Amino acid sequence: MSRLEAKKPSLCKSEPLTTERVRTTLSVLKRIVTSCYGPSGRLKQLHNGFGGYVCTTSQSSALLSHLLVTHPILKILTASIQNHVSSFSDCGLFTAILCCNLIENVQRLGLTPTTVIRLNKHLLSLCISYLKSETCGCRIPVDFSSTQILLCLVRSILTSKPACMLTRKETEHVSALILRAFLLTIPENAEGHIILGKSLIVPLKGQRVIDSTVLPGILIEMSEVQLMRLLPIKKSTALKVALFCTTLSGDTSDTGEGTVVVSYGVSLENAVSDQLLNLGRQLISDHVDLVLCQKVIHPSLKQFLNMHRIIAIDRIGVTLMEPLTKMTGTQPIGSLGSICPNSYGSVKDVCTAKFGSKHFFHLIPNEATICSLLLCNRNDTAWDELKLTCQTALHVLQLTLKEPWALLGGGCTETHLAAYIRHKTHNDPESILKDDECTQTELQLIAEAFCSALESVVGSLEHDGGEILTDMKYGHLWSVHADSPCVANWPDLLSQCGCGLYNSQEELNWSFLRSTCRPFVPQSCFPHEAVVSASNLTLDCLTAKLSGLQVAVETANLILDLSYVIEDKN
Amino acid sequence: MLSSMAAAGSVKAALQVAEVLEAIVSCCVGPEGRQVLCTKPTGEVLLSRNGGRLLEALHLEHPIARGLHAITDREKDPLMCENIQTHGRHWKNCSRWKFISQALLTFQTQILDGIMDQYLSRHFLSIFSSAKERTLCRSSLELLLEAYFCGRVGRNNHKFISQLMCDYFFKCMTCKSGIGVFELVDDHFVELNVGVTGLPVSDSRIIAGLVLQKDFSVYRPADGDMRMVIVTETIQPLFSTSGSEFILNSEAQFQTSQFWIMEKTKAIMKHLHSQNVKLLISSVKQPDLVSYYAGVNGISVVECLSSEEVSLIRRIIGLSPFVPPQAFSQCEIPNTALVKFCKPLILRSKRYVHLGLISTCAFIPHSIVLCGPVHGLIEQHEDALHGALKMLRQLFKDLDLNYMTQTNDQNGTSSLFIYKNSGESYQAPDPGNGSIQRPYQDTVAENKDALEKTQTYLKVHSNLVIPDVELETYIPYSTPTLTPTDTFQTVETLTCLSLERNRLTDYYEPLLKNNSTAYSTRGNRIEISYENLQVTNITRKGSMLPVSCKLPNMGTSQSYLSSSMPAGCVLPVGGNFEILLHYYLLNYAKKCHQSEETMVSMIIANALLGIPKVLYKSKTGKYSFPHTYIRAVHALQTNQPLVSSQTGLESVMGKYQLLTSVLQCLTKILTIDMVITVKRHPQKVHNQDSEDEL
Repeated sequence: MSRLEAKKPSLCKSEPLTTERVRTTLSVLKRIVTSCYGPSGRLKQLHNGFGGYVCTTSQSSALLSHLLVTHPILKILTASIQNHVSSFSDCGLFTAILCCNLIENVQRLGLTPTTVIRLNKHLLSLCISYLKSETCGCRIPVDFSSTQILLCLVRSILTSKPACMLTRKETEHVSALILRAFLLTIPENAEGHIILGKSLIVPLKGQRVIDSTVLPGILIEMSEVQLMRLLPIKKSTALKVALFCTTLSGDTSDTGEGTVVVSYGVSLENAVSDQLLNLGRQLISDHVDLVLCQKVIHPSLKQFLNMHRIIAIDRIGVTLMEPLTKMTGTQPIGSLGSICPNSYGSVKDVCTAKFGSKHFFHLIPNEATICSLLLCNRNDTAWDELKLTCQTALHVLQLTLKEPWALLGGGCTETHLAAYIRHKTHNDPESILKDDECTQTELQLIAEAFCSALESVVGSLEHDGGEILTDMKYGHLWSVHADSPCVANWPDLLSQCGCGLYNSQEELNWSFLRSTCRPFVPQSCFPHEAVVSASNLTLDCLTAKLSGLQVAVETANLILDLSYVIEDKN
Repeated sequence: MLSSMAAAGSVKAALQVAEVLEAIVSCCVGPEGRQVLCTKPTGEVLLSRNGGRLLEALHLEHPIARGLHAITDREKDPLMCENIQTHGRHWKNCSRWKFISQALLTFQTQILDGIMDQYLSRHFLSIFSSAKERTLCRSSLELLLEAYFCGRVGRNNHKFISQLMCDYFFKCMTCKSGIGVFELVDDHFVELNVGVTGLPVSDSRIIAGLVLQKDFSVYRPADGDMRMVIVTETIQPLFSTSGSEFILNSEAQFQTSQFWIMEKTKAIMKHLHSQNVKLLISSVKQPDLVSYYAGVNGISVVECLSSEEVSLIRRIIGLSPFVPPQAFSQCEIPNTALVKFCKPLILRSKRYVHLGLISTCAFIPHSIVLCGPVHGLIEQHEDALHGALKMLRQLFKDLDLNYMTQTNDQNGTSSLFIYKNSGESYQAPDPGNGSIQRPYQDTVAENKDALEKTQTYLKVHSNLVIPDVELETYIPYSTPTLTPTDTFQTVETLTCLSLERNRLTDYYEPLLKNNSTAYSTRGNRIEISYENLQVTNITRKGSMLPVSCKLPNMGTSQSYLSSSMPAGCVLPVGGNFEILLHYYLLNYAKKCHQSEETMVSMIIANALLGIPKVLYKSKTGKYSFPHTYIRAVHALQTNQPLVSSQTGLESVMGKYQLLTSVLQCLTKILTIDMVITVKRHPQKVHNQDSEDEL
C-alpha cells in the first residue's frame, strides 16, 4: 500500500515578472536561442548526465526538447514554441527570440499590462494584414512551374542549420534531393482535392552525404541472407501483391471470454497450419506474386509459398503499412479464410539493392506518390540534425503548396516590417487606435518596443561582431563584416542585402539598424525580372513565419498578463 | 488512530484567511483582471482567472479557506465572499456570533428576496427581445457573453471567444429548443470540443457536425445514401462467451467453427452493406476480420470510442446499438441512422473523424475547435466556454416554470450545483427547503384544524417565494417558526430532497400539486402533505368565506407570477447589481425597527460595495468609483434611469445565487467555535469529511 501523505500547500508568488530570478532565467534562455540563430549561429552540445548520446544542434525543436525548464513561465514559453514547431516545423528560433525580446522591451516601459496587451494586439494585426495584403513588399509569389524559387526555399532552410555540417556542394545536392522527393509525392493526375503522398526517410549513417539519393517506392531493409533466399521473379507484367495485417503465425488468440476445452489428442496447431496451407493454396490459385505481412508468417507457410515461387516477407511493422497500402493499392487482409479478389494490389517491379552496408528489398510502384529518401551523413548526431532539417524542408514545401508565397529571408522581412510599422504608427495612428482608450504616446512607445524587438531578432543573425544596416528605400537588411575598414564608401562594403534581391549599385541611403531614423515608407515594388533572375535568394516560409509571429506576440501577451504564479509543490 | 488538534475557531483567523485570499483573487476580477499561472504536480501549466480553480490550486490548509473555496467554485466573482468577511470586521465587538449568524440567515431567507423583488426588479432588463416568445436577439446575447468572458479569459481573447460562443449558441440551438439542449451540451461539452495546440487562438472555429478525437481504423470514401450503426461489442462471434465453456473434440470441429465464425462475420458485414450502412461506430476494438470485411464492403470503421462519445451520438441521433442477429435473416436492420457525411478532418497534421449526424433532437450538432499556443490556454478557454454555457443554462432554466416553483427551484439548483462542482463535496444547505421544512414540522406537531393549516401553508410560501407579501404579513404570523435554532439538522436531511425536487419542478404542474409531489418523496410524511393539499384545494375552490384575509394573499401570489424574476433577467455590468442592492438595503435598514436587522442590512450593503470598488480600481476621474457611485445614488433618488459607462449585461440569477451562497457560508463560519484538525486520510464518504471540518 502506498503511503498516504497530506498535500503540501502550493507556493504563490505575485508579479512574477518583476523578480530577479525570472529575469535571469529569461535572459539565459534568450542567450541560448539568439546564439543559435541563423547560418552562422553557434551550435549547442546537449548531454544528459544520466546517459544517452550527446546532441549537437542549433535547431529549436531539438534544443527545447532536450532542455529541462522548471520555472512555470519558461514552461509556458517553451511549450508554445514547441507546439508551434511541431505544427509548422520552421521558424521556432524566430518565435522564441521575438517573444523574449518583446517581454524584455515592454517591461522596460512600465506601462500597464492592459495597454501593452491591447496595443501589441493591434500591431500584430497590422503586421498580419500587411503580410497578407497584395501590397506587401517583402513577399514573392512562388512559381511551381520552375524549380528555382523552390530550390531557394529549401537551400535557405539547409544553410540556416549549421549543425548539419554540409559543404556548399552537399547543400546543393541535398536541396535537389529534397525537392525531388517532394515532387514525387504529388500525384500526377490530380483534380481538385489533391492528397499528397509520403516521403520516407531511410537512415544510412556513416556514409558521405553526397551518396544520399531518392528512389520512388518503398525500401524494406533485410539481412543479406534473407535477401539471397528470395528468388528473382521474371515477369513482364505488374506483380500481384497481398498485404496481410493479421498474424499468419498460426496462433489462435481470440477465443472469447469463456473457456475453451481441448480434448486429448486434438492438436490445434495442426488445425491451424492446415488452415494456413489452405490460405497458401488460395494465394497460389489467385496468382499472387508477393505476400507481405505486418506480423509474423509461419515458417511452414513461408516455405510453402517459396516453393511456389511466391516471395513472402514478414515483420513489415505498422509504420510501413499505410505507405504500402497506398502504394500497392491493396486492402490489408485481416482474414485467414476466403480473400476477396479486389483486396489484392500490385507493384511494377521488385529488386534488391545495396546501399552502403545495408541491403534493401525495393518495391517499385506503378504510379504512386510514395518515395524513399536515403539520407546519409557521417555520424549519428549530424544525421539526426540532417533528418530533422529534411523533414522541416519537406513540411515547408507542403505548406508553400497550400499558400504559394514566400517571404524574403535573411532578415529583410523583419527590417521591412519594422519600417512599415514605424511609418504607419507615425503617419496614421488614428486608424490603429480607433475607439480605444490608449493615447498616441503609448502607441509610439509600444510600437518602438515592438519594432526594436523585430530588429533585435535580425540583429542576432550576426554573431561575429559585424554591423547591421538598413537601407532607407526598401527597408532591407545589409551586413558589414567586423574587420572591414572604417566607413568610406558604403556601396563598396555592402554587396548584397540579406535576402539577395538588391545589390548596392543602386542609389541607396543606409543607416545603422539600432540608430534612430525618421520613419519612411518602405518601397515595395521590385521588378519581377529581378526575382526571376536572382537564383540565389534567401527565402522563408510565409505560413510558418506568420504563425510564428502570432504565437510570439500571443505568448508574450500571455506572460505579461500574469499577476500570480501558483506552484504546486506536490 | 485519530490524532486531533483543536484550535479556537476565532473570527479573527477567518478574517486573516479571507483577506489573503481576497488579495489573490481580486486581481483576477473584472475586465481589468489578470491571469494566474498554476502548475500541476505533474508539471503541466494552467492559466486561469477562475476563482474556484485558483483556490483549488493553492491546496489550502485552513478549513475556513476550504469552505470559501467550495462556494467560489461556480461563480464569477469569488471576491464578494471575502469582502463580506472583511467587512465583518466592523462588527467585532459583538461577542455573540451565533446570534449574528442567525440574523444573517434570517436576512437571507426573509429580507433579501423581498428587496430583490420589490425594489431591484424594476431595474431588471430582459435578455429576451420578446418576453412572450422568449426569443433571443444576437446583440443582447453578445453583450451578456462579452461581459462574462471579460472576467474569465485573457483580455486579448475575450472578444473572440465570446463571438465564438455566440456563434456556437446560434448554430447549435434555437431558442425554442429548451433546456434539454443545454443539458446535452453541458453534459457532453468535453466531447464537443477539440483542442489543437500550436496554432494561434484566432484559428479557433466552429465546425458543423461532430468531430471525434479518433482516427478511422478503416476509411472508405462514400457518398449518396449513407447509414451508420453503433455497436458495443465485437461483431465477430467468439468461441465462447463469459461463463460458458466450449469443448473441442476434434480438429475438424475447430476448423468448422472457425469457418463458421468467418462466414458469419462476412455475412453480417455484407448484410450491413446491403442496407447501405457505410459507417460502423464501435465502443470496443473490433477484430482484424471485422475491419477487413468492413473494408471490403466499403464500410468505414471507428473503434474504441469512449462511453461518453457513444452516449452523445446516441442522444443526438436517438439510435440504439446494433446487435448482430443470432439467427441470421435477411430482414432490414432496425437500428441504423442516416448520416450526411463522414470524412477525416485534418487539424494540424492529426486526423480526426468528422461526422455529419442528422439530429433527431433540438440540438444541431456542431463542434468547437479551440486553438492556442499552449495547452493551458486552451484549457482555460474550454473552461470558460463551459462556464458560460452553465450560466446560460441557469438563465434559461426558469423558462417553463411559474413563479412559485421558480424560487424553489432556484434554491434547489444552487445546492445541486455546489454538490456537483466542488471537489471538497461541501454542500451548502438549502435555505428555502430548510425553512419550508420547519413550518411543516410545526404544522404537523400542532395539529390544528384544516383552515389554520392552510393558512400556515400559504404563509410559508409567501415568506419564501413572494417576499413582497411577506414584508407586510410575515412578522405577525410566523416569527416563532422561522427562527433557525437548529436548522443544521433539518438541512442535512434535506440535501437529497432538493435534488429530487429540482427534477420534479420540470413538470408543468400547478403550484400546489407540485409542492405536494415534492413532499411526497419524503416518504414518511406522505399522508400529511396530501392532507394539506386537499385542504388547500378546498379553500381554493369554494369555501373562502371564513378567511377573508387570505384572499388577497392568493391574489397577489397569482399576480406576481408574471412580474417577478422571470427567466432571462439581466442587469448592465459594472457593479450595478451591487450598487442597487446596496442602495435599497440602506433604505430598508432605515425603515427597519429591529436593530439587528438594520445592522445586518447595513453590513451587507457596505460589503457589496467592495465589488464595484475593485472593478473601478484602475479608473480615474469621471469614471472612478466615488463618481460612479454618487451618480448612481443620485439617479436612484431622483428616479432617473441609471446610466452605465460600460456596455455588457450580466445575469441577475447568477448574482443572486452567489449572494445567497455567500451568506450561507458566512453564517456557517460565524457559528464555528472550534477548528479540529484531523491528521488522517479522509474517509471514503466525502460528505462526512466536509462535516468534520466544519
